[in-house]
Amino acid sequence: MFTDEEAHGLLPAAEARAKNRNWLRWQDMTFWLVIVALAIIGLVVNDSYVRHILILVLIWALVAASWDLVLGYAGIFNYAQLVFFAVGAYASAMFSLYAGVPALAALGLGTIVGAASGLLIAIPCLRLRGEYVALFTFAVHLALPSVIQQGRSIGLGGSAGLLGIPPINLFGNVLGPMNKLGWFFFALTVVSVCVYIIYFKLLRSKLGHAFVALRDADDFAQSLGVNERRYRLIAFVISAAFTALAGGMYAHYTSVLTPKILGTEFFLMVMVMLAIGGMGKYPGAVLGAFIVVTGNELLRAFDDYRLLILGITVVLAVLFLPNGVVSLRDRFSRTKVKA
Amino acid sequence: MQQFMEILLGGLSQGAVYCVIAVGLSLVYGAARILNFAHGSLYTIGGYIAWTMTSGYLGLPIWAAMLVAIPILFVLGVGLERMIIRPMRARENWKINTIMVTLGLAFALDNLSQIVFGPSAKTVAPFVDGTIELFGVTISLYKFWMFWIALALVAVLEFFLSATRFGHAVRAVSQDIQGANQVGIEVNHVFAFTFGLSVVLTGLAGILLAPVFLVSPLGGWAPFLKAFVIVVFGGLGSTRGAFVAAFVLGLMESFIVFYLGAPWTMPIWLLMLLCVLMVRPKGLFGVWEN
Repeated sequence: MFTDEEAHGLLPAAEARAKNRNWLRWQDMTFWLVIVALAIIGLVVNDSYVRHILILVLIWALVAASWDLVLGYAGIFNYAQLVFFAVGAYASAMFSLYAGVPALAALGLGTIVGAASGLLIAIPCLRLRGEYVALFTFAVHLALPSVIQQGRSIGLGGSAGLLGIPPINLFGNVLGPMNKLGWFFFALTVVSVCVYIIYFKLLRSKLGHAFVALRDADDFAQSLGVNERRYRLIAFVISAAFTALAGGMYAHYTSVLTPKILGTEFFLMVMVMLAIGGMGKYPGAVLGAFIVVTGNELLRAFDDYRLLILGITVVLAVLFLPNGVVSLRDRFSRTKVKA
Repeated sequence: MQQFMEILLGGLSQGAVYCVIAVGLSLVYGAARILNFAHGSLYTIGGYIAWTMTSGYLGLPIWAAMLVAIPILFVLGVGLERMIIRPMRARENWKINTIMVTLGLAFALDNLSQIVFGPSAKTVAPFVDGTIELFGVTISLYKFWMFWIALALVAVLEFFLSATRFGHAVRAVSQDIQGANQVGIEVNHVFAFTFGLSVVLTGLAGILLAPVFLVSPLGGWAPFLKAFVIVVFGGLGSTRGAFVAAFVLGLMESFIVFYLGAPWTMPIWLLMLLCVLMVRPKGLFGVWEN
């Protein structure tokens, strides 16, 4: 958030703070301007395929943003993000399929179940450090598909999946799979509010500062009284809740749910979003979601090579764009200042 | 009694091969602090090398394939370390970047093998046929030899680490990178060497298991996940921990498969892992501070 001059103490504190406040206000404004621009694009471009891609971009942007919260900002090596996505999706689908809960309420219940699953995975992780968290969470991710496949008897649908998940009914407007415009505005509203909460409310509050402090200087932050366990738990639960919401939206949008959502393709896609966009740097993850989902659709023509290209993209992006595409902006602006 | 022996021997031979995969994973973490998510994909690459050398194209016997594979795998490992992992080290958050980059590599390798060799599984013939009678139990001669080869590989590695000068350097680096650097050990050489060595180990395990489990593009994930649990169970970076854990979990697996069925293996392993980590957050023999 601070520019180079402030970091080097070249500006007086009050002036620096005022400048920072202006910068934050400017970021707020651009965020909503981009959302309005997106809304106009979705309204004007009367093509259901484009709208479909925009909806997917929005859903994945929320997943990427919540992963960014826990991985990029809180610095917890959590690789179980798609587990929360799947839990949210399955919970929401099952509430509306078996209990007859209206889809919108099921979405809310799915979010709560997702948050609970975040809590459940976070508790063992609190005792683990660094890479052990990565190993444990990734093991949970890899074990879940077989649990779903075994869980036919408790209504998880096995490998065939859950079919005919009811659509969301919004004040009489049924958001069926054909109602792309309705879905687009629903997704845009939910996702923009959630992403705004993540980046502009949570991460700018005391909570966000605690996350970054624990990430960058664990022992020092703790010695100043930042409760590590509490904040790691909070990071997990919040990020799980938002991801589960995205999962529920995905379930009701596609109306079909299979264990494939835990397959390599989706995992790889979200990872590429973070790798390309840049972790812990707003708007990296969200931008990454836009680039990757559209790129993935453009690569449909080379279906056999798509995953290979995605994998190589991760390697190259991490190698040559250490902080994602947002670092290009920094590099550009720095050279401009020097010139 | 006979049944018990059967399960026991099956578990031991299983454990020995897990050991080879897990020791490589643990070694590279211990010395270079790299959590290599491409370990399973490199295991698959080993299997494909064996297939190409034997039934696929060249028609060599499998022992010759293993000998040819060793230098190929070593060069591959050193090359990967040099090209994609070493540049990460200078970064602030290099740990997360190495996890990302090796995961990306794993997916790239898997899909590359799928494109090159096709999605269907390849079979590799074992180098011995027939069975052998042991303690009143009949087991296949191939599994018997597999056990001894795997054990020999681990013994050679253990000898190398404890009795040669370069092995001492590897251990010094795994204890204290900065200290090792100060006493004049070429830390970068050790990183590259251990990475190459771990690729050789996992690739050889891939070749050894090719006749048993076949070779398929995504076939490396199951052994990798198991090696993963074994390494965490034994303690990241501890080769002895991985050795003990491989046999404990290998034996456990064969009992679970017999009494409950194969799908229960992973859930019970994970439960065990969770219990171990709750009591000892760094695994059974883990000593490393992150």
